[in-house]
Amino acid sequence: MRNSMKIAKWEIKRNLKNKSFVIGLFLTPLLILGFGFLGSLFDSDDEPAETTVFVNDQLESFDMLAQTVDQFELDWVLNRTELTETDIQDELENGENVAYIFLTPEAMESGVIPVYTTDEIPSSFSAQVQLLSGPLQQIRIAQLDLTEEEIAIISSGVVFEETAAEDYGATVEQSAVVENPLEKLVPGIFAGIILFAIVVTGMMIFQSASQEKKDKIAEIILSSVTPGELMNGKILGYFVLGIIQVLVLLIFVVPFAAIKIDEPVIEYLLVPETLLLVLIAVLGYLLFAAIFVGIGATMADMSTSGNFQGLVMMLPFLSFVLIGPVLSSPDGIVAKVASYVPFTSPGVLIMRLTALDEWPWIEIIIALAVLIISIVLFMKLAGKIFKVGILMYGKNATPGEIWKWIRS
Amino acid sequence: MEVMLTVEGLKKSFKDKQALKGISFEVRKGEIMAILGPNGAGKSTTIRNIMGIMYPDEGSITFHNHQGKEIPRNKIGYLPEERGLYKNVKVMDILLYLADLKDYPLDKAKERILMYLEKFDLAGKEKVSVEELSKGMGQKVQFIGSILHEPELLILDEPFSGLDPVSQELFKDEIRSLADKGTAILLSSHQMNLVEEMCDRLFMIQNGQKVIYGTLDEVKTKYANFKCTIRGKNNLSELESIPQVQRVEDKDETSILYLDQDVEPTSWLKSLPEHLNISELKINRISLHEIFIDIATNKNLIQEAGDLDA
Repeated sequence: MRNSMKIAKWEIKRNLKNKSFVIGLFLTPLLILGFGFLGSLFDSDDEPAETTVFVNDQLESFDMLAQTVDQFELDWVLNRTELTETDIQDELENGENVAYIFLTPEAMESGVIPVYTTDEIPSSFSAQVQLLSGPLQQIRIAQLDLTEEEIAIISSGVVFEETAAEDYGATVEQSAVVENPLEKLVPGIFAGIILFAIVVTGMMIFQSASQEKKDKIAEIILSSVTPGELMNGKILGYFVLGIIQVLVLLIFVVPFAAIKIDEPVIEYLLVPETLLLVLIAVLGYLLFAAIFVGIGATMADMSTSGNFQGLVMMLPFLSFVLIGPVLSSPDGIVAKVASYVPFTSPGVLIMRLTALDEWPWIEIIIALAVLIISIVLFMKLAGKIFKVGILMYGKNATPGEIWKWIRS
Repeated sequence: MEVMLTVEGLKKSFKDKQALKGISFEVRKGEIMAILGPNGAGKSTTIRNIMGIMYPDEGSITFHNHQGKEIPRNKIGYLPEERGLYKNVKVMDILLYLADLKDYPLDKAKERILMYLEKFDLAGKEKVSVEELSKGMGQKVQFIGSILHEPELLILDEPFSGLDPVSQELFKDEIRSLADKGTAILLSSHQMNLVEEMCDRLFMIQNGQKVIYGTLDEVKTKYANFKCTIRGKNNLSELESIPQVQRVEDKDETSILYLDQDVEPTSWLKSLPEHLNISELKINRISLHEIFIDIATNKNLIQEAGDLDA
């Protein structure tokens, strides 16, 4: 174990002194931030800030409309206008984000209020304008000379209230709690970032193992340590490097997110759920690290990797393929099966646990057990492959040869 | 002399080929023991088995001075045949790392690194990245790495391959002085002249089997018989009928007469027929190099000499 620590320390030191690693370390968060920033640039291009709304008010209800606009915080600039429906054609053809509303007695009677807009208008406008129908309906009702009770009955409308069997006993207060989607999302995203960052860093193990062969230093190192110690040291070292990558990422992204998103992100992060999610991410790393270190030892050179090795490298990205089906039905058959397949289970579990309200504990425990057993198994296999492969110079091992080493 | 390492009955097979067929020898404190043999004879396999990089099918490897079953890696220095260094690190860093892996105190290691760099004409290179070194410099750094931690047993697999004559001398002197200070040294080589100059005992191996094992002097008196080279056109059967001639090699106008072991050169010369056509005559001992070539090409020059055990 002491020797493994020394090797881990060396791998960490060697990489931190390597310029390309350090550049990558800082480039990753900058890229993420860069894309986030670019995204927000496009957003503001698509949706300009305000819509100018002209109201031809013949009902003395402009103040009430202004109140409604304030209440729903609509991005509108309200103006009065004396133009009639026949005068506005030019204005509409040449303007942008402009709308005309005509509140006339005839319109009030028929209940259909004409609204004219320019071709360029935010897509949300037609939904927003419907918000005005409530107050206008009030005005129409008020004109009917009804008693207050009658008014109350008419304006309250009819609503269906649904209670599922599950919530039958639940108290009213609980169902009234408004769940913030971000609160559940933050731990999941955090664990996802950890998984992604350490797996990507973990891929460097692969390079490191094959580089060891290319530089022909393996045998010198193995005169001081056992192959097992060398392998464990590498796995440990690159884990720490991955964590360093995560930390750098967080240092850049968290303050940015805290400014951009008006939510107590850190508070959402510091919940017990995060622990389990991070544990899953770490287990995922251990699995892929074992695979990478074993496969890396079978290769003489990165550039000559065969199909088999290339395929194995793609394994961590299997979970990405499943993002669609898993998120659309986190309790579906695809999600359940993928939770039990060791290669996809870390990614899929993190997605499911983020999406699901109720955690299926039995499934989680079975999935974790499968994952842990696979890790132990793959570590053993990797150890066997590593022991032989790391000293085989000049050629890549074929799947047949690898199979023979495993059996020996 | 105190025995440091005993190898006994070592056998190892790859697929259906038997690489080692029962190798036994020992290495003693303060001596240089050479394993010789042509390519593929089993030298590196033997060494890798000693280092625990491979496991023998049969036989035992005993490190004296050491309790327990594990290989005392900290007390062994090893320079493998397939060797290299991490590319993008500084000379000092990699040497300190190698010393650290051997549990050698780092401050002491640092002193010794500077001392050895100086000794091997690499003074001031400690901050240089390994990839900027020439091949020879790299080999010197690897050699320093293997002796840095003051090993009790030093195993060098082809230490001279790829070195220029000046560096070879440097290595030779250092290896000799380490042996004089009490280090047990096991080295493999196929550069006979170097081995002949420096080793105390040798073990020659061919096809995974022992061919010769003994001290250099013993080997020389036992195997390195006299041979007589005659230039001039002569009848082969006549040359073969000269007393105490084992066999004759005839090529162009030069004949080499291999003589019996107990031949007296002066009296033998007198027994040469007077009518021989001699434009040049040379009499000397068979060199280690020739023994080696003979073994490698399976001429079995030394077959009759039989076994010799030290």
